[in-house]
Amino acid sequence: MQGGLSSPGALSHAYVQHPPLRCDIPDIKGLFYDDANRFLVAPTADRILYWKIAASTQSGPPNSDPINEGPILSVRFSLDQKAIGIQRSSHEVEFRNRETGEGCSKKCRADSETILGFFWTDCPTCDVIIIKTSGLDLLVYEPQSNALRLVESKKCSATWYLYTHESRLLLLASGMQCTLFTGYQFSAGGIVKLPKFEMVMSKSEANNKPVLAAADVHIVTVYGRIYCLQLDRVGMALNLYRFYRDAVVQQGTLPVYSSRIAVSAVDNIIMIHQIDAKVVILYDVFMDSYAPISAPLPLLVRGLASNSKQAAQPADQQSSAYGGTLYGEGWNFLIPDLICDAENGLLWKLHLDLEAIAASTSDAPSILEFLQRRKSDLSMVKTLSLAIVRTTILERRPVTLVAKAMDIILDSYSRSMKMVGGAAGVRRTSEQNQQSSFQPVEDSRVVSQEPPGTMIGPVINTDSASGVESGQSQSNSGVEHGIANLAAHVDRSSLNTSSDSDGITNTSRAVSQATSSSQISDATGKRPQVVGEDSQPLASGTSMQHGTHVASVAISPIEMVQSVFVLVEDEMMGDPAYLIAVIMEFLRSLSKAGLKAPPDLYVMMTALLACSNRYAEIALFVSNKILEPSRELAMQLIDLGRHHSLTRKLGVDMLRERCLHHDYVAALLQDGYYLEALRYARKYKVITVQPSLFLEEAVAKNITPNLAAVLSFFAELTPSFKTTSDYSRYRHILSEMV
Amino acid sequence: MGLSSAAEIDGAQLCIFDLRRGQQEGQELDKILFFHPADCPILLQLSVIGLCEGIITFTRIFSPEDDCEVIESDKHCHVFYQAEPDIWMVLVVQKIKDNESTLRFGALQGILKESHSLFAMFHGPIRTLLDRQPSAEFARGHLHTFITDYLSDFSVGKKLQLPTYRDSLTERGTVQMLTVSREVALEVQSLTTVLGSCLRNVICQSVVLFEDLLVSTTLPMDDTLNLYTYAILRLTPSALSSNGNSWSYLRKGGYVNADTTLSSANGAASAERYNSRSRDTSPGGQNQMHHNFRPLQREKLSKGKDGFVAADFVTTEIRGAVPLNPILWFHQAEERMYLCVYQHKNLTILLVIPASSLINGEEGIAHVKRHLLENASQNIVTVEQKLSRGWGGENAYHVGGYRYILSDPNRKVSRASPPGKVITLSKDSLLALNRLRGEIDLEKSRAKRSDPTHDKDYEVCIRAKNNAWIIAKISRGKELYMAIEKGGETLLYASTAVEKFSNRYCEGAFSTD
Repeated sequence: MQGGLSSPGALSHAYVQHPPLRCDIPDIKGLFYDDANRFLVAPTADRILYWKIAASTQSGPPNSDPINEGPILSVRFSLDQKAIGIQRSSHEVEFRNRETGEGCSKKCRADSETILGFFWTDCPTCDVIIIKTSGLDLLVYEPQSNALRLVESKKCSATWYLYTHESRLLLLASGMQCTLFTGYQFSAGGIVKLPKFEMVMSKSEANNKPVLAAADVHIVTVYGRIYCLQLDRVGMALNLYRFYRDAVVQQGTLPVYSSRIAVSAVDNIIMIHQIDAKVVILYDVFMDSYAPISAPLPLLVRGLASNSKQAAQPADQQSSAYGGTLYGEGWNFLIPDLICDAENGLLWKLHLDLEAIAASTSDAPSILEFLQRRKSDLSMVKTLSLAIVRTTILERRPVTLVAKAMDIILDSYSRSMKMVGGAAGVRRTSEQNQQSSFQPVEDSRVVSQEPPGTMIGPVINTDSASGVESGQSQSNSGVEHGIANLAAHVDRSSLNTSSDSDGITNTSRAVSQATSSSQISDATGKRPQVVGEDSQPLASGTSMQHGTHVASVAISPIEMVQSVFVLVEDEMMGDPAYLIAVIMEFLRSLSKAGLKAPPDLYVMMTALLACSNRYAEIALFVSNKILEPSRELAMQLIDLGRHHSLTRKLGVDMLRERCLHHDYVAALLQDGYYLEALRYARKYKVITVQPSLFLEEAVAKNITPNLAAVLSFFAELTPSFKTTSDYSRYRHILSEMV
Repeated sequence: MGLSSAAEIDGAQLCIFDLRRGQQEGQELDKILFFHPADCPILLQLSVIGLCEGIITFTRIFSPEDDCEVIESDKHCHVFYQAEPDIWMVLVVQKIKDNESTLRFGALQGILKESHSLFAMFHGPIRTLLDRQPSAEFARGHLHTFITDYLSDFSVGKKLQLPTYRDSLTERGTVQMLTVSREVALEVQSLTTVLGSCLRNVICQSVVLFEDLLVSTTLPMDDTLNLYTYAILRLTPSALSSNGNSWSYLRKGGYVNADTTLSSANGAASAERYNSRSRDTSPGGQNQMHHNFRPLQREKLSKGKDGFVAADFVTTEIRGAVPLNPILWFHQAEERMYLCVYQHKNLTILLVIPASSLINGEEGIAHVKRHLLENASQNIVTVEQKLSRGWGGENAYHVGGYRYILSDPNRKVSRASPPGKVITLSKDSLLALNRLRGEIDLEKSRAKRSDPTHDKDYEVCIRAKNNAWIIAKISRGKELYMAIEKGGETLLYASTAVEKFSNRYCEGAFSTD
């Protein structure tokens, strides 16, 4: 339906970009992924090599660091990257200070417990958490002495665990089937223990109880919310849970077409890879809709020379082209949007093909909403959005539908304007925080501005290191924004830069901040199902919060006019009434969003009305200010007045009302009202209009006393006038008339 | 002279005649298309029309370009209006002794103009009717019912109560607009778009009123004015509610009387013709397909349960009690239109549907109505709420200290002090104002004759009795008349008052340059 939008790769909605990052260096002993720092780590015998892949997956030589020899089960850099933690065995984790090279290790009792894993945390009370089968050890790492100090031990049994730095959420599985879960969130805001919950498993036979494997559970972070997906192999279903502060609620069940699945999150879209079927299904859960965005389609490799022309190729052909297999055995799906092909030593980054997704549906409003929520590929979002609006107009879809589409665009724009202004206005509060709080930037957050108690207090942290907001923090009446609003990424470096970005914070301070709170309640207010009334959504630590647009994703009214209305105008001349109705709806959307339309639009609208002979409506719209007065519009009205004198009058009146004295006097003169023009010129001291124009009119009317009056008026007003040639000329004419 | 014959009739007379008919001696009766009162002896009718024709012919000798507009004699005032080429409407008003300046010719001619425009909207031009049926039965029948229904609004007992000096702050033939905020105006336009799409292939026109004020229109000025006039006469909630009250009953008395007196002289003939016409189903007519549909007949119009206002003709044999929608003729559009009226609380929507786009009339309208209810209801409710919220009540446009009328004859728009405030003016002030308006009317028509394209500005301030200032100001075609009682003594006071009013309420249109 979306004419002109179909892209060559329309048979796929997600793709990986060729070439991938090559990490197939000889001598490496496996590949590890440090999701907190987004490092891909490849240890050799005495060194570890690592690629920083936060920004891009472009190939390049890896960084390297010496380490002691020995077996390696996992590698994680500390969050400040000053130390490396290496799990050596199921009983030992080694910590190495990268500056001094000193090391220390943490061992556990070999007989009664084993170490399942460890991770670094930004939680205020500890730095490292070691997960053992018997519980958790919360440790503080002291780099000076290179020592570990145990802060707290939490007893609980665990068969396996899941942790993602993105969500700061640790899930410990226990029980016969590993379906009993204990959850903790270790964030900058503190430690939150989630209530215990159980995941659902279908039974195949009476006595055969399947065991849930760690590989079948996935933590996903989108729109700052934390979800968990659990594959029920027997029931062939994927259960979706959402985490709230005090509850874990199953939200729905997604279909499964494969015995193995993998989950990625790209730009807040959940991608569920059906590995056996070699297809991927996309979900956008923003509006709590669990219907897929589109049909299951294969993943595409983009940028291969062979498929740049042809739309899509069979998977084998693609794979032969780059020397690997799509959804091959060695594929590991890394959080949130990476694929590591361990067999071939390749690292791919997943992308959404927005163009293809946009082309796959004709439901313009919903696809626009979808596009406006995207954070990646901003120029593409913009281009597509404009094209969609244009197409709906050119296809003459019902005006209400076009109106809805424009509403979405303008909503998004005004929101983004307000977010920029809101973040700026709040900068001071967050600076105050820096003095008082432990980790200042990380601690900043958005708090609802509603008075405490009136709302459920949706709290969404906006930066990388936030935590679950505790209830009392809402008693802060001020809005505390994360400066990180402005940063699109989770990584620390961008956080730091954004807090220094005065350039942005200085702009539009006046814009209300209150909107940020309404925005957030919008994002969370649609919470479904029976969650306890005071339960709050469990916020993840990402900045992937809806509404924190970078200004460029939003389409300004001027861009709408230039890239939509101006472009469709010619084609719509056969049916101006439709275009007029659409522009009217656009004006309504603008006014609802508190935005101004550019004067060009009024000029265009007036021309359209005039060419359909709807002069009465022009007058109506001028009088009720639907057509906002401007010099441009006044001139247009005067111009159209060639065919309709009342319309000319409207334009002239508008000049007067806008105090455009010179233009008004000139227009009066053109109409032959030279005496009126003269009176007006005297009152408002308009000296820019040539005296000869007045005199010429007076001569044309052939009324002697009037000519004499005009002449003497100018002679008195400007003493030098008597010396001009005009004076003598008209004097002469006057004497002949008498 | 001849005028004495008219004096025998008490009150006013209104006649319509065609100078192209009855030019043979003995056929004079054929000229007469309409005469009020209908029971007036035929000879007297002929005498009045003969006099009028004489005056018209006589004055043309001196002024071939411009028609005779008014003849004032000792006891009568003849107001002329050439509605269509050679079709004349004349109103003869008896003067009341002592205060000869209580009438204003412009206001009286307004009645003729208004009744003719409305007639033409519903039945088409009189000339077309006459051409179609030279025996003039249609024309006479329609004119009889229509003008009689129209005049019923003016009749008190048997007499016509015509506009006097008390109405000097009103202007017939103008639309009164509701001032709305831009946001609401956009909302209304959105509704207009939805209304326009009630038919798939053709855009429907619409006029939206709130209370008795115009909110929006998609029609050209003249058609808007006619529909607006019709709406406030018969369709708006206040017009509909006056159907059953005693005031209306009083009018009804007068008009039933007129109906029953058809038996006399000429009346008998016309009644007979009228009856025969109503049986006539010959094609080519307009509203006669609805049989004797009378758009201005108050009693038949009512708001149905579905929110639509329609005429319910219980007596129609063929259709039974089917709500009927009048057909309209518009100036600019060359085709016939159906009028469909929907009302929600104080909001009245006149939807105009091109007749050619409806394949089978009433069924098509039923479809449009369904479409309107399904798609526009939400918008209608929203708009009504917003307008009600912003509505300042009947005194919304009252400006303390001023009694005014502000009008733009070019755009046919006016705004005036609410009637409830105007009646507080003393009789002297009103008389002075009426007189001043008459003078200005004369000046205007004189200026128009000398240079029709050039607007001339006027400013008159008169110190009347009771320390009142009576002010008229015309600036760039816009007119402002006002009375300020108990004002200061100086002329400066008066001009400052105008200046203030102009800046505050007219966007400086009347400010002194």
